[in-house]
Amino acid sequence: MSPELLFQQALNGLSFGALLFILAAGLSLVFGMMDVINLAHGAFYMLGAYVALTVVQRTGSFWLALVAAPSALGLLGLVLEPLLLRRLRGRHLDQVLLTIGVALVVVDQIGLVWGREVRSLPFPPGLDASIAIFGSVYPVYRLFVIAFGVVLAAAISVVYRRTKLGMLIRAGVQDAEMLGALGVDIDRLFAITFAVGAALAGLAGVIAAPVFGMQPGMDSDGLLYSLIVVVVGGLGTLGGAVAGSVLVGPIDTFGKVLFQDFALALIFAIVALVLLLKPTGLLGRVRIAR
Amino acid sequence: MTRAAPLAVVLIAAALLVTFPYWSAAWESSRFATTVLRDMLVFAIFALSLDLLVGYAGMPSLGHAAFFGAGAYAAGITGQRLATDQLPVTLGAAALVAAVLALVIGALVVRSEGIFFLMLTLALAQIVFAIAFQWTALTGGSNGLSGVGRPTLAGLDFSAPDRMYVLVAVTFLGVALLLWSLVRSPYGRALVGVRENERRMRALGYDTARLKLSAFVVAGALAGIAGALSAYSQRFVSPGDAGIGTSIQAFVMVLIGGAGTLLGPVLGAGVVMYIQRVLSSAIGVSETVLGLVFIAFVLLARQGMVGVGRAAWSRARSR
Repeated sequence: MSPELLFQQALNGLSFGALLFILAAGLSLVFGMMDVINLAHGAFYMLGAYVALTVVQRTGSFWLALVAAPSALGLLGLVLEPLLLRRLRGRHLDQVLLTIGVALVVVDQIGLVWGREVRSLPFPPGLDASIAIFGSVYPVYRLFVIAFGVVLAAAISVVYRRTKLGMLIRAGVQDAEMLGALGVDIDRLFAITFAVGAALAGLAGVIAAPVFGMQPGMDSDGLLYSLIVVVVGGLGTLGGAVAGSVLVGPIDTFGKVLFQDFALALIFAIVALVLLLKPTGLLGRVRIAR
Repeated sequence: MTRAAPLAVVLIAAALLVTFPYWSAAWESSRFATTVLRDMLVFAIFALSLDLLVGYAGMPSLGHAAFFGAGAYAAGITGQRLATDQLPVTLGAAALVAAVLALVIGALVVRSEGIFFLMLTLALAQIVFAIAFQWTALTGGSNGLSGVGRPTLAGLDFSAPDRMYVLVAVTFLGVALLLWSLVRSPYGRALVGVRENERRMRALGYDTARLKLSAFVVAGALAGIAGALSAYSQRFVSPGDAGIGTSIQAFVMVLIGGAGTLLGPVLGAGVVMYIQRVLSSAIGVSETVLGLVFIAFVLLARQGMVGVGRAAWSRARSR
């Protein structure tokens, strides 16, 4: 592999990692707070991309879509949590199963509304060029994805550490029941958590759409990759999502270059290995949810 | 009622099931009904095998399609590579490959629990899917494996649609009978014990990891047989047969029907296939209906259709 190609692939890996972080952060947050693996996360990611498509078609503005799609998904999450998940509080496995049903409905409705053919979203104006870095030409949009991921991680980290909501989230991840006993409105906190998780999935969908396009199967790809990231990095912690995405993005990218045919098997083998040796992930909490 | 009466009912029902293409031949839609019923029975076998894990041994596997897909590919590939249509060869290969795969995956997962079990089975099954999807030389890759032949047994050719149906129906009855005796045996009781309280079973001297592993292998082999029947029926294997969609489909069947019962997965397979195959052409949003039905059962009737039926029955009797 030439140095130029190596550099280019390293950037590809990082930009994929940044996307994975946006995608996985929501899944990890919901798990950390509610002990629920949201199996509809991939469907939310897909829906975000399609909402963005409609917004861009109507208004021509990618930036509006970047706000509108996560807002729409957040709203959906805000409705679904009290409507469905709250009824099964404490029954984590049943809540996980419930999200399978949500995913089936959401994906089918996407097919009904937007059709089942492959769609694409144009690069936003200003980011559709390529620039030369170290002798190789590289698309600006991918650099934007890296920057966006880093800024988002920093922003989430500030919210975590410096705001009241962040404090409640950190406390809830430690022990949500105790937080409720201390007088915090857990119902509201869980609804907000689920909404933020869904909004992050939608945001990832918008960011991913210009690079990967939209097609059937996008939901399971999104779900599987976000599961991989949180499993490798560690469930329920921000650091875990960062570590997981920074590892999985480049490993996946280089795996595809080096072992074409077996890259996918390789990445799942790594996941299985991590789950077996350190089930809580590389940076996970010690507590194991039942 | 004498003891012989229920047995007679079961035997008559079984005979009616196996001979369906013949006594329904006069119907206008007999051929279509036979195809749908055949696919229901294939998935009923698959769902029954998953229920041994989910309902009896308490292992909620989200990766059971790995064994279904492995069986389908094994039957198709051995048939084509060895240029044979002998049922014992291709079906045997399917069961064997699926069982060995289940032994490997099972050995890795039986000690984990809850959500981690869910994710580990999902991840390991995705490795199988990834291999099926990307090893084009062996599996046909994303195009799938086409031209799978229908089997023969001792001069009996199962190519015709009615014969293929009979093969599936007889296999279904065999698997149902096997599981019926299995869950009533001390071994089946021990599995339920592990589901209810694994620690206590261990304290009683049972090797619970080994019990769970053996259930995993049996369930895997049966899923492999279902996969082979699917490959013969469709004359085609898709990598999706080993994918997460198929795993979830079986899980939905088990839960809608009623986990931990033998009737449940069969009913669930019937309902799900009916929605997907018959209702879908009428309304076009079959997955939405399926999703809503599934959500309703998880929320309101976690014991599935069999549980709802039992509750209604005992209410009616206590009146």
